[in-house]
Amino acid sequence: MAQERSALLLHRQLGELMKNPVEGFSAGLIDDDDIYKWEVLIIGPPDTLFEGGFFKAHLYFPKDYPLKPPKMKFISDVWHPNIDKNGDVCISILHEPGDDKYGYEKANERWLPIHTVETILLSVISMLADPNDESPANVDAAKDWRENPAEFKKKVARCVRKSQEE
Amino acid sequence: MAESSEDSGSKINIAVKTPKEKKDIEIGADASVKEFREAISKAFGAPVEQLCLIFAGKILKDEENLKQHGIKDGLTVHLVIKSANRSQEQAAERAQAAPTPSQANVSNTPFNLGSMGGLPGLGGLGMGSSNFMDMQQRMQRELMSNPELLQNMMNNPMVQSLMSNPEVMRQLITSNPQMRELMERNPEITHMLNNPELMRQTMQLTRNPAMMQELMRQQDRAMSNLESIPGGFGALQRMYQEIQEPMLNAAQSMGRGNPFAALSGQSQESSGTQQQGQENTDPLPNPWVPQSPGSTSIGTTGSTTTTTGTTAGNALGSNPVFNTPGMQSLMSQMTQNPQLMQNMLQAPYMQSMLQHLSANPELASQIMSQSPIFAGNPQLQEYTRQQLPIFLQQMQNPEVQNVMTNPRALQAIMQIQQGLQTLQAESPSLLPGMGLAGAVPPPMTIPGSTNSGTTGSSTVTTSTTSTTATTATSGTMPTTSPGAPANTATPSGGLPGQGGADPLGGFMAQMLGMMAQGQGGGADLNTAPEQRYASQLEQLAAMGFINREANIQALIATYGDVNDAIDRLLQQRGN
Repeated sequence: MAQERSALLLHRQLGELMKNPVEGFSAGLIDDDDIYKWEVLIIGPPDTLFEGGFFKAHLYFPKDYPLKPPKMKFISDVWHPNIDKNGDVCISILHEPGDDKYGYEKANERWLPIHTVETILLSVISMLADPNDESPANVDAAKDWRENPAEFKKKVARCVRKSQEE
Repeated sequence: MAESSEDSGSKINIAVKTPKEKKDIEIGADASVKEFREAISKAFGAPVEQLCLIFAGKILKDEENLKQHGIKDGLTVHLVIKSANRSQEQAAERAQAAPTPSQANVSNTPFNLGSMGGLPGLGGLGMGSSNFMDMQQRMQRELMSNPELLQNMMNNPMVQSLMSNPEVMRQLITSNPQMRELMERNPEITHMLNNPELMRQTMQLTRNPAMMQELMRQQDRAMSNLESIPGGFGALQRMYQEIQEPMLNAAQSMGRGNPFAALSGQSQESSGTQQQGQENTDPLPNPWVPQSPGSTSIGTTGSTTTTTGTTAGNALGSNPVFNTPGMQSLMSQMTQNPQLMQNMLQAPYMQSMLQHLSANPELASQIMSQSPIFAGNPQLQEYTRQQLPIFLQQMQNPEVQNVMTNPRALQAIMQIQQGLQTLQAESPSLLPGMGLAGAVPPPMTIPGSTNSGTTGSSTVTTSTTSTTATTATSGTMPTTSPGAPANTATPSGGLPGQGGADPLGGFMAQMLGMMAQGQGGGADLNTAPEQRYASQLEQLAAMGFINREANIQALIATYGDVNDAIDRLLQQRGN
């Protein structure tokens, strides 16, 4: 039952995104038979260091979506404080609901069933433009970003170039 | 392509969406991505190779077809049009890393910098240098048009905080690769920049109105003031010889990266010392030329410069010409490239050319109209032409020639020049402030010399009798020359309203931008003194100075120097 509901919801969201794509990303399925695994391509937001890049990411939805958040993982290399070195995206809205045991995030900043693929990706795009270095997933990237902007820029530029070749 | 889509029979409409627009493309249902891309290329008017198509999270590749991706009627495909100059951007990036930018990179600049004699320009050297240059130029222009502005400026809290932070100033300077190189070669400069005390002293000198007035009115006195700066006159002189020249070279080439210069094609001027056709553009930069080691022939060139300067000066003062970018950058070039001028004037062809020029007004005007500088700037051209007779008249004025050939007079002028330059060399960070030194005199000399040209007034004549005094007079006190038409340019003139206020705003914005870029400085500049001097305030409080307001005032007045602030506070308490 839960599975049906989540599949239905995801199908609807996918159909909607196909017909009326949202600015900044494009979404599809990795495998047309599996609605729970999505493939998205994030277009590097203009006027940011990531401009010009095309970053591939996968979204893995749980069967009890939308009660639980999906996981998002970048397939392309992205040098960013909030994306760990395996590509896993660490933003508050993708964290399981409830209060953070570390006290970093409030409940309303975390996953809520009202979030859609669209809102998730828009958050990720805005995260690209504006890293949050308070709880970095990639400590080295956060350090660069804070202390050595030139180096950060260089590494991001490398990612952007690499993403264009893919 | 059209055929193939007809062959396929059924046509579909696919919406293609870029961040800016959305278009429907009609294409055969089983068309290949390549055909699709070509259709899009036509519709959007962008080259095929710049198109990047994205559908369902994938980048479409030419060898695939639409069916494979399940692209059906009514669906939307993302289109990203890559910027054509990506490779150039990357080239620029690389050039930024390397000390010498590639020539190709320069020729790619929108203003055709590369066409100017193929000199490797510095266009690619990055924002730092051009911003720095631009800021400096704006400052100098401001000061040129209104010395009073200097004081206002120095009293402006923002400038104060800028000045109070030697770190920022140093950063500004070191952001220029050439400067950095220079500093590496000349440890003295580094030492200078690293000596906050020295910088602070010079800053205070600039800020002190009385001191400043003295500087402005009596340059020879100012010279002795200069001697009081640690290092002494001898050191200053040596510094001028050893450091100022390469520094000016650096400034000169920085000028090429200057957006303003590029705008009006002025950068040619700085790059074109070797180009025969450009001689008469070159005298413009420096009205101080007579001081190039005084030989007779140079005397002639000297008078030329003065008059050429006259044109500029008039334009500056009384004419909208001053507001044209061309004029502005001309003026700033003038103040920045004395070195260039000297080189120029020592070139033999220059002297013979000037002789020709004075003998033949026709030729002069012809050259003028052909010169790229003037060609691009009809206003200036016209102005120069109007002034030409005066200029020639002045050339023939025996008294002018007399001054110019009088070694003592020349020497006096040279002394002033050196003083100004050493001032600049002593604290290059102060260029804005000291830009006054290099920048203010030229326009002011000019009204004076205009007088002598048109009315044959006493300004120049007297100079033959008492050299030092005269140069000081003609150089710095134009207000004394009665009813000079160009006097609008004088310090007391109503210029702040006319040209001052607006550029000032721009200049401030510019500076803010600069500061925002410099990592450390950005915060400093925008914060209130309480924040800026937070640590000093704490110290003072810990020492028992509990009047926070007074502490802040004292710190502001002493640029954050705790010791001076304590002295000040104690004095106040004593009173």
